[in-house]
Amino acid sequence: MARLPIRACLVAGLAVGLICPLLAADRHEWLLEFELGYASPASELGPWTEGQLGKLRFGTEAKLGASRILFDYQNRLRPTLWANITLDYVDDASSGIDITEAFIEWRPVPNSELVQHWRFGALYPKFSLENGERGWSSPFTTSFSAINSWLGEEIRPLGAEWNLARRVGGRGSPQALGAFAGVFYGNDPAGTLLFWRGFALHDRQTRLSDRLERPPTPIFGADGVSDYRSATLKPFAETDHRPGYYAGLDWRYATRALMRIGVYDNNADPASFSDGQWGWRTKFQHAAAQFSLPAGVGLVLQWLDGETYWFIRTTTEGTLTPLSSLVKDEFEARFALLTKLFRNRHRLSLRYDRFDMSRNPDLNIDSGHAWTLAYRFDTAQRIAWSLEWLSIASSRDLWTTFYGLPSSARERQLRMQMNLRLGTRR
Amino acid sequence: MLDRYRPGPVLMLTALSGWVGGTVAYAAELTVAVLDRSYEPVPQVAVYAVPETTPAKMQTPHDAVIDQHDHAFVPHVLVVQIGTAVQFPNTDRVSHHVYSFSAAKRFELPLYRGDVHPPMIFDEPGVVTLGCNIHDGMLGFILVVETPHFALTDERGEVHFDDLPSGTYSLNVWTPRLRGSSLPLPRTVKLEPGGNSRARFAFEAKMFPPHDQREGSLSWRDYR
Repeated sequence: MARLPIRACLVAGLAVGLICPLLAADRHEWLLEFELGYASPASELGPWTEGQLGKLRFGTEAKLGASRILFDYQNRLRPTLWANITLDYVDDASSGIDITEAFIEWRPVPNSELVQHWRFGALYPKFSLENGERGWSSPFTTSFSAINSWLGEEIRPLGAEWNLARRVGGRGSPQALGAFAGVFYGNDPAGTLLFWRGFALHDRQTRLSDRLERPPTPIFGADGVSDYRSATLKPFAETDHRPGYYAGLDWRYATRALMRIGVYDNNADPASFSDGQWGWRTKFQHAAAQFSLPAGVGLVLQWLDGETYWFIRTTTEGTLTPLSSLVKDEFEARFALLTKLFRNRHRLSLRYDRFDMSRNPDLNIDSGHAWTLAYRFDTAQRIAWSLEWLSIASSRDLWTTFYGLPSSARERQLRMQMNLRLGTRR
Repeated sequence: MLDRYRPGPVLMLTALSGWVGGTVAYAAELTVAVLDRSYEPVPQVAVYAVPETTPAKMQTPHDAVIDQHDHAFVPHVLVVQIGTAVQFPNTDRVSHHVYSFSAAKRFELPLYRGDVHPPMIFDEPGVVTLGCNIHDGMLGFILVVETPHFALTDERGEVHFDDLPSGTYSLNVWTPRLRGSSLPLPRTVKLEPGGNSRARFAFEAKMFPPHDQREGSLSWRDYR
């Protein structure tokens, strides 16, 4: 975690001071959120944000600072046409200010029971039931589940999305059915980071022009690994000019139950290569559900099952060597989260994650589980405090051969955070 | 708000004018109870009595208000006499965009905060379903009736009219918690002058749960 970027804070404060009067009008909604905190990680593997093999965001030393500064802005260009942009400041390997989401939303006023809206731009498809807050944050924990951490890292289509919803069974019926579908450009290297590193649990979302460091490619000589080649990843790049798609259905029963299923396929050509980025064909199926249980307890479940494949090749001065072999990894992850809000201000959440990646099909690429326990206290409308304990146990077969690392690892992290929110958005 | 029946001087005048016209119309009392299929009382059900013998003597309707507060229409169900002007203030900090595509009144109040739109007159009988184009979970209803005699049931599932002109009425109930086809048929009641009548409706169909937008421990916002 970086030192508190005083200059960035001053600039942001000044900018907000100047634009506040302009933003007071009804058509503007904005949120400026500072996430300041302390992280105390314990891992032998090192942070994935520095291209290492660990599942945590931060390094091996305890650090104090700003983990994120978020600016979320919505301009209602017309009553039914909105422009949304989310800017993130982070300070790690790929730092500075960048865009996380940017899209135009069109919500025509319904003239029947069918309610529809469209989104155009770079956006998160509606898979997660965990990231319902502004800036795709989670109200439950600071670190997301393995599934949603990965969606935040590598899934951000640039495209057009159509949403349809209808109340079923009468005017006052608690049941609603919905459907969504999107076609998109880009997002061809999605799956690369999962392939090289496996799953992770954190809250570092990839911004649109981020270049992520991924674990280095081992180069094999006569006596095993002779060298490593480092590489950077742009997960939202386009390598083959083939559109991808995603789609889903959901069913909702008032504020008691919600179920959602979906599919995603980036339709990438696994033999494509463009501007230093490889195409990885990645597709998955996803299911999610949430229920209000007795005693005010909430239950959230998500399950993800998919595969990613790629032709192993190397480049020498920009020329591709002939295709050698196809590598296909299958991945599966799921989590269950129990949460309870006490007196509308105190929230206690417990999550259990399981994840599994395998190849051909007996080779264990990455499997393990994690426990997350989090407490969050909203002291005021603008300030929240949180405390989180995260413990991850994982194992993999190839790491000893590839990187000389132990084939199993246990990582732990304690995080304390203060969120300060300014603005008109909730 | 006209969510309860208020007998007043106008009604007394109605009774008096009936007498002057030669037809003696004395006041009668009527209590209506609404029960669900397990015989538990149901609050917030609209009960309205339409005179069958002579057209309802319309009173000048009072203005009515539906507030948008805490991402909900308050009240959730509003009953008004035909011709009533209804105001739609928004007392939330965020903007709402109110619309209806119901046949009884199609309208749209684009993005606003505060009380900026003039009241709207509801001049067709029927049910008007209200929605917000920003917050899909917001849901409200206006029931427009051709009679000044209406009220919503209280916590005991009852409505009490203590000053109805005597005569024959078609007694109706309506709630968004039942499909239109499951609502009981109107019932004819004859009110004798000075009489005290009781009527009871017991629903046969299972009711939808009450509309509740409280989030509880989970987030039910439209996920982005």
